[in-house]
Amino acid sequence: MTIPQAPPVEGEHPLENLANEKLKTKRWFHDPLLVVGIVIVGVAIFLAAFGEAIAPYDPTVPVGPPSVPPSGQYWFGTDTSGLDVFSRVISAPRIDVTLAVSAALLSGIFGTLIGLMAGFYRGVFSSLVMRISDVLQAFPVFILAMVLVALSGRNLTNLIFALTFLYTPIFIRLTRAEVLTQRERSYVEAARAAGNSDFKIALKHVLPNSLTPSLIQLSVTVGFGILLTAGLSFVGAGVRPPNPEWGLMIANSAPQLVLGEWWTSLFPGIAVSLTVVGFAALSNAIERRVATS
Amino acid sequence: MGRYVLKRAGIGLLQALGITIVVFFVIRALPADPVARLVGFNSSPEVYKQAQASLGLDASIWSQFVTYMSGLFRGDLGVSWVTGSPILEEIRSALPITLQLITLSFALALLVSVPVGIATAKRPGGKLDKGVFGYGLFAGAQPEFWWGLLFIFFFYYSWGLAPAPLGQYAPGLDPPPQITGMSLVDSLITGNFTAFIDAAWHLWLPVMTLAFIVSGPIIKMTRQSMSRVLGSEFILYQQASGLPSGQIARSTIRASLPPVLTLAGILFGFLLGGAVLIEQVFAFNGLGSYSVRAVLNLDYPAIQGTVLIITVVSLVVYLVLDLLLAVIDPRVKN
Amino acid sequence: MTSTILKTTGLNVVYPTPTGQFKAVNDVDLELRSGEIVGLIGESGSGKTSLALGLLALARHPGKVSGHIDFQGRDLLSLDNDELREIRGRSIGLITQKPRQSLNPFQNVGTQIGRVYRAHVKASKSEANDHAIELLENVGINDAPRRIRAYPHELSGGMAQRALISMALSAQPELLVADEPTSGLDVTIQAQFLDRMWQRAEETGTAVLLVTQDLGIVANYCDRVLVIENGKLVEDAPTRDFFANPRDAYSKRVLALAGERAVADTADAGVSTAEPLLRIENLRKTFKLDDGKILSAVSDVSLTVMQGQSLGLVGESGSGKTTVGRLILRLLDADEGSIWFRDTELTSMKTRAFRDFRSKIQVVFQDPFDSLNPRWSVEKAISEPIDLHMKMSKDEKRLRITELLGQVGLPESIRTVKPAGLSAGQQQRVCLARALSTNPDFLVLDEPTSALPPVARVEMIALLKDLRERLGLSFIFISHDLSTVRELCQDVAVMYLSQIVEMGPTSKVFAHPEHPYTQALLDSVLFHDPLSRRVDREHRGALVGEIPSPVDLPKGCYLAGRCPFAEEKCRQEPQLLEFTEPGHLVRCWKAVGGVLNVVDTEA
Repeated sequence: MTIPQAPPVEGEHPLENLANEKLKTKRWFHDPLLVVGIVIVGVAIFLAAFGEAIAPYDPTVPVGPPSVPPSGQYWFGTDTSGLDVFSRVISAPRIDVTLAVSAALLSGIFGTLIGLMAGFYRGVFSSLVMRISDVLQAFPVFILAMVLVALSGRNLTNLIFALTFLYTPIFIRLTRAEVLTQRERSYVEAARAAGNSDFKIALKHVLPNSLTPSLIQLSVTVGFGILLTAGLSFVGAGVRPPNPEWGLMIANSAPQLVLGEWWTSLFPGIAVSLTVVGFAALSNAIERRVATS
Repeated sequence: MGRYVLKRAGIGLLQALGITIVVFFVIRALPADPVARLVGFNSSPEVYKQAQASLGLDASIWSQFVTYMSGLFRGDLGVSWVTGSPILEEIRSALPITLQLITLSFALALLVSVPVGIATAKRPGGKLDKGVFGYGLFAGAQPEFWWGLLFIFFFYYSWGLAPAPLGQYAPGLDPPPQITGMSLVDSLITGNFTAFIDAAWHLWLPVMTLAFIVSGPIIKMTRQSMSRVLGSEFILYQQASGLPSGQIARSTIRASLPPVLTLAGILFGFLLGGAVLIEQVFAFNGLGSYSVRAVLNLDYPAIQGTVLIITVVSLVVYLVLDLLLAVIDPRVKN
Repeated sequence: MTSTILKTTGLNVVYPTPTGQFKAVNDVDLELRSGEIVGLIGESGSGKTSLALGLLALARHPGKVSGHIDFQGRDLLSLDNDELREIRGRSIGLITQKPRQSLNPFQNVGTQIGRVYRAHVKASKSEANDHAIELLENVGINDAPRRIRAYPHELSGGMAQRALISMALSAQPELLVADEPTSGLDVTIQAQFLDRMWQRAEETGTAVLLVTQDLGIVANYCDRVLVIENGKLVEDAPTRDFFANPRDAYSKRVLALAGERAVADTADAGVSTAEPLLRIENLRKTFKLDDGKILSAVSDVSLTVMQGQSLGLVGESGSGKTTVGRLILRLLDADEGSIWFRDTELTSMKTRAFRDFRSKIQVVFQDPFDSLNPRWSVEKAISEPIDLHMKMSKDEKRLRITELLGQVGLPESIRTVKPAGLSAGQQQRVCLARALSTNPDFLVLDEPTSALPPVARVEMIALLKDLRERLGLSFIFISHDLSTVRELCQDVAVMYLSQIVEMGPTSKVFAHPEHPYTQALLDSVLFHDPLSRRVDREHRGALVGEIPSPVDLPKGCYLAGRCPFAEEKCRQEPQLLEFTEPGHLVRCWKAVGGVLNVVDTEA
């Protein structure tokens, strides 16, 4: 889901810009939003790389008695099969985060390139792209994701492809909109007058200046990728057990919750919640710093 | 205006058709094997062939397509490979449940979020503003299924303020007849107040969960849109012209609506997906649960039917929103 | 007898920002008297708009106004909302800088005018509607009953401003606050507006505060001048005193430079033994609009620029002057006609071949910031044409850039700066350096000074003159600013609605304009001389109405609908360019025949 920005109103007061200007020059570590974002994202990426290695126990095999509440030995307790919750929670980013980041990057790259072409070259291609992208947007992402993943096999590669496919239209839209604006600017005309071919203009001038919205969107997309993966796994249409994955963990723990076993749902849930908030915060912080008008 | 409506409706129809066709071919192109699912992976070739024929999968893909499309034009969505019942019927009983859930959640979210957004727009930079921004950021990033579970744990298990998550009504209750398919409406129409209270009792937690998630973006957008309009040239001019404050307030709100409406469309799509998860958590038999079953069982007709109906519903909602937008904002029709 | 209408004491306008309070207006004391037009000048960001709004006790959200505003015996800042409401829009009127944006985009014009009317006068909806229609007709908008149902985005800037001005004036306010009301309007339209406002002040004794950056407006219309800098008033003097003896530094600088310009000679005609460098023949360009109509951008334009000469191309909105520039550069392709550069014909060249040819014809556009890639440093921007057309080693290139920076008067240190770190004047110099980098023979200058603040504008003109002499540049200078053209260009072509209506040496055309349009145009130029004001002169050839858009042009003279000398023959016969004296072409049979001022009463 992409939350659009409220469009600028004509005749808008430049004071908002004044505030943003002051924000831009503020040192980055004085901006709480940015700090929170960077820290959480940093931790998430670190765990994605090293989580499994530093986990105290093997996250995929039972290591202790089942349903043990958090203790000195098992920091987050164990679940009904005796797996250590803490180890599973910190090993999950290897799947969740890697998946989401890969999908976000891939869809970002594809979407940006397609969006560039659709915006720069008007005509049939552009309209076709927009129509297809519109149709895809009209459809609830989650259900489409379920269908794609369940039917192509529930492995990581397919998950990445499915997410990429679903998120590409967002980037197409964002880039195309920005390209349409940039294309009307005088520096593009000046570049043409200087003797650049269309291709060179698109690559040298328009593309670099149309990236900002997509860059901001990337971080948020990672967050939503994580949510989607967790949701899919929760209903059984995502990652397969016994892989450690936050959504799976929450799904497995649900029946026990009403019996009072809270630690198996709480910790993975907090992990998802915090991680996605972190990516969203990072995105918002970047947006505020980069906003020009 | 009428032409605009017709044009959009026409495009919508084509889009719905387009998606149906695409889904039809895509799911058949993917490697999953529904026949094997039905008869097991170790069945004999004869049994397999028999099953394949019963599902109609032995025919060429084109003849399958033709069969399906001709059925579609007659209003027949086929039968479920799992239950054998007509898809249309199954969806007809499942859809209202989901719609009720979504509508109530949305209404609640709007009721709370819009005034808060407006209030913070008037006092930018204050503590309330910062707090609300944080809330918006937080709420919009949450996994709704987990929050559903959390709410169940606290409100049902710890405090007894909500019923067990066992569906729309308490298990022992005699549900009212299915007229619209929506629990609240049906019980109200048939004057069955016990059922009404029970339905509401079972609804409040899932509705609150969804509303919580969706309120974040709504507050953010309302605040942002309103704040931009408040700082705009034309509102300033209206003040300078001495217009009554009531008129100016109405003007401001009207001008702030378009982005919120656009967001509403996006959120609706999101809610349809979110409803799937919440229905699972709270054991509601809405379209969300239906679609999960259909997908996991590789029930192609059910999948196709669900996709078609959801697309149609989404497109109708988008069309309505677009029309509202065109009514409010005269610049749109160009 | 003049009486004080409004007096402020210690006026402050403060905006809260996340990083503290920002004082846009700082402790201002001023006084406005009936029948007086007071000009308020200052640079961008000086606080002039905040001050103007502050007089109505208004500030943009979330600003706050404080201090004392004494209006007719009452302190505006002590009144409650309802009392203020009565005064605003009625006793104090406001005209803003951006008329279309000041209108509610969601309502049609008639409804809005009606609402304002009914806010102050007890009237029914239909009475308000009639009032709106009357208002529009009074400002010369034809077909008012249909026009009032238009939405703001369907109006032109001029039309919207007319509606707003008439709205403000119809309430017969005691004080009118006009915030740069004519920015963005065409010169002749600007003259119309300001005349009207001035008349009003004379007739009804309305006090006017006129915020502007244009000293010409101040000199010609204002009785007194206020200068604001960083929120504080630094000068308050009668206009003549101000122009004779400015006290603050900013005004001194502008007036000094402006004074030089007023005295500057018209550009020399130069010796015409040079060969033609650029020759345009019968150029035509049209655009098809969404509703099927044809917009004629350029009709049958022919002109010649000699080697080492500069031609000014003047006109207002819809004249086609900008399109001509684009056609020469082949940023647009002509429908018909040919463009000869020495002995090469440009319109028939293949795209790729022309791309290489571009090194010879370069351009500087109007908006300097918009013309530069925001992510490229000055150095990168200037080297682009070099990289595309010339083979130079890194060292050669570095030297070349140093040379170019020197030519345009920029320091070496600026090489690594990005556009956002430069002032508008500096940005435009970079664009100029970029244009010169391939040693072009010809430059198209498309309103290069229009978007610059007054000081930068003066400096740029001096620079262009200097470069023309030193490098022997030839250029076409597209502009609506006649005084600049007079200074810079040896020849001039005046365009109106896609046609050239007058062409010849600048000295001749400006001294004896023959075409009614040229006359009106020249008449609208506001000189910085408070001793010889426009309002003190008589204007015979004034044009009426707005400038139409070049769609569905009539068969006769395009100006006929607005020209005070028009008669039936003008409307029926297409007008041709003919000589009135050697080198001087005019498209008007009456002018050519010397009978311009004779109105045929028997026709």
